[in-house]
Amino acid sequence: MMDMLYNLGLGFAVALTLKNVFFCFVGCLIGTLVGVLPGVGPVATISILLPVTLALDPTGALIMLAGIYYGAQYGGSTTAILVNIPGEATAVVTAIDGHEMAKRGQAGLALGLAAIGSFIAGTFATIVIAALGVPMTKLGLLFGPAEYFSLMVMGLVFAVVLAHGSLTKAVAMILAGVLLSCVGADMETGRERMTFGLHMLTDGIEFVVLAMGVFGFGEIFKNLADPEKRDLVKGSIGRLWPSLRDLRENMGAILRGTGIGAVLGVLPGNGAILGPFASYAMEKRLSKRPQDFGTGVSQAVAGPESANNAGAQTSFIPLMTLGLPPNAVMALMVGAMMIQGIVPGPQVIERNPELFWGLIASMWIGNLMLVIINLPLIGLWVKLLQVPYRLLFPAIVAFCCIGLFSISNEPTQVMMAGAMGLVGFALWKLQFEAAPLALGFVLGRLLEEKLRQALIISDGSMTTFITSPLSAFLLAIGAFALLVAVLPSIRKSRDEVFKDA
Amino acid sequence: MLKFNRRAALALGVALLSTAGLPALAQDYPSKPVTLVVSYAAGGGTDAIARVFAARLEKALNGRVIVENRPGAAANIGTEVVASADPDGYTLLVGNQGPMAVNPHIFNLKHDPAEALDPIAMIADASLVVVVGPRLPVTSLAELLEKAKAGELVYGSAGNASASHVATLLLGQTAGIDLKHVPYKGAGPAVNDLVGGHIDFMVTTIPSVIGLVGDGTLTALAVTGAERFAELPDVPTVAESGLPTYTASAWYGLLGPKGLPQDVRDKLASATAETLADPEFIAKLKNDGGVPSALSGQAFADFMAAERARWGEVVKAANIKVE
Repeated sequence: MMDMLYNLGLGFAVALTLKNVFFCFVGCLIGTLVGVLPGVGPVATISILLPVTLALDPTGALIMLAGIYYGAQYGGSTTAILVNIPGEATAVVTAIDGHEMAKRGQAGLALGLAAIGSFIAGTFATIVIAALGVPMTKLGLLFGPAEYFSLMVMGLVFAVVLAHGSLTKAVAMILAGVLLSCVGADMETGRERMTFGLHMLTDGIEFVVLAMGVFGFGEIFKNLADPEKRDLVKGSIGRLWPSLRDLRENMGAILRGTGIGAVLGVLPGNGAILGPFASYAMEKRLSKRPQDFGTGVSQAVAGPESANNAGAQTSFIPLMTLGLPPNAVMALMVGAMMIQGIVPGPQVIERNPELFWGLIASMWIGNLMLVIINLPLIGLWVKLLQVPYRLLFPAIVAFCCIGLFSISNEPTQVMMAGAMGLVGFALWKLQFEAAPLALGFVLGRLLEEKLRQALIISDGSMTTFITSPLSAFLLAIGAFALLVAVLPSIRKSRDEVFKDA
Repeated sequence: MLKFNRRAALALGVALLSTAGLPALAQDYPSKPVTLVVSYAAGGGTDAIARVFAARLEKALNGRVIVENRPGAAANIGTEVVASADPDGYTLLVGNQGPMAVNPHIFNLKHDPAEALDPIAMIADASLVVVVGPRLPVTSLAELLEKAKAGELVYGSAGNASASHVATLLLGQTAGIDLKHVPYKGAGPAVNDLVGGHIDFMVTTIPSVIGLVGDGTLTALAVTGAERFAELPDVPTVAESGLPTYTASAWYGLLGPKGLPQDVRDKLASATAETLADPEFIAKLKNDGGVPSALSGQAFADFMAAERARWGEVVKAANIKVE
């Protein structure tokens, strides 16, 4: 404990130098901007800025790059809430209820809760990294292919509760998402599946392409098709600051979201992306009025946003304690460290304590800055919505296209997102929800990968999922949740039978 | 007056046409930024080496060099982009062992890299390293091979047909043992499962594990190159550990579209030679696990042909061709 305080003291001494505060600010500001702009993500931004960081000292460079990453997760919710277009792929969940709140004139409340939730999550995650970094690393390592697969199965079961309409339609969407995730070269044999010989499909569909297409372009098509009812937020945005009562009502969701996000963030293979979905599912389960979810429930914004930010931060743990990147952004951070001559790995704590603790301390400072940067900006963002549609829509489409192109410098990604936009529009017309599709897609990819890895290791024996205690435990929770979900409907149909009789 | 104007315009037109038609002259090359295509996403091993190389090459060429990531289709997209670019020296490729020597045996490619690309010079050679995690407590390669004979060991790789995969295939074939392959998406998640004890061992790039080896989390048994790696002086080569014929390494070279003007090629080759001789560049390269190479022009082309033939046999024996 004393050690941790001493180390954090060292960290703050490093992070609070004028120079590093400046880098942190620049990172957070750039991050907020790329987060707000739909499609333009931290991966593209950091790879563009990578050469620039060569000229900086390692600590300052990493503080800035980290700021861009968590700043982007933060900014992504703004566009999701205001225009129903997730600025970042991870903000898909926030859009579900966040935009509904905005339509009801509660945009300020939604944005304020997202900001405060993110700040609390960021603070908590900073403490987790500082105090529990090493044990949390062990947690991440416990998840081998079998355990990961069982976690995904559990996630799939919980996914069903994401839907607020027809259960059949939700299941159909999840399955469609899983199928879409199978497109591309088989990871084991390299054989192409469902690519129709198209080059752009050999590597599968990028999540950003799916999210920007179905949610981004789809939303714009939707608005153009129905000019009478364009559901951009008009007029009042309501109070900017949540009242004490709002805070009290949402504190539970914020804390639960933070916890879920912090744990999932440590998992390899970008577990952080699951955080918002898991938090939403949990809030809906715990809510007294689950039927209201999807119509603008504040907990459905506060929880997932907190989970998102906590996960963004704890995903630094494997990077900092093992030198292993759990996602594309962290891979770039490894690259940045190596360019600076720092060997990523367990030794960073001992050899470069000022870097390690400085980076951790800067995350808290960065989170504080994000609140300071964002709260006054809310007014400005909302003003942007008063820009006429004929100017706003082309601008959004342009930014989406830039972002999509920057994924791999391929125009085909933009075309694919365009096609996905039509899919999104069709789904909306047919009253299918797109969020379960996105979740099915995210889970499907990991589901297949981990299932096959687990079965190769176990020589094809399915018992591997039960002999691992952690895996068995996760499957049991999934089975229990399924039972709970199915039982009331069995009872209901039985009641109906009796009614008829 | 009118006549003069017309004649002047004509002369100007002719002058413009002739400059447009001429190939780039070495003395003005490069007159605009040179694009260095990397067939992998930013942040990976090839990308790191390309960026360090590009930064130093700029000085040698006295012009801008931009790294452009064109990932996808097992690094075949980058190859295609450069193969179909104008051979003017402004679009170049950082090619490596995978797409140049292994992929032609696995995929049906639109362009054969040996025919569509002009090798300029090799940049670096990077040894891989055999590492074991807590699941397989052995301290030498001989012990690992012994265990593998007793029962199938499970190894992870950075992906199907990756350098890490084919180097392990060759290891198994040379030692005459059967191994079980678990493909991952990149070295990171595979190393994660190695540290967690879910798989037995891995053959991977040195930078991806050097931190974990230094700390004792993983044990390095052997390096795959012909020589030991300076940062791991106590780790023998595979050849020293009982498989004298074995070498494997990931290598990186500079290539351009077929038909580069000779003077541009020469200029690029000499700029590369200058870069590779810079001690500061060598030090940075070492961080990325590489040592500079001395092969250029025809020697590089011969090396690639030999590598391609060698890996062809490994791939054939393992039967991993994509139908």
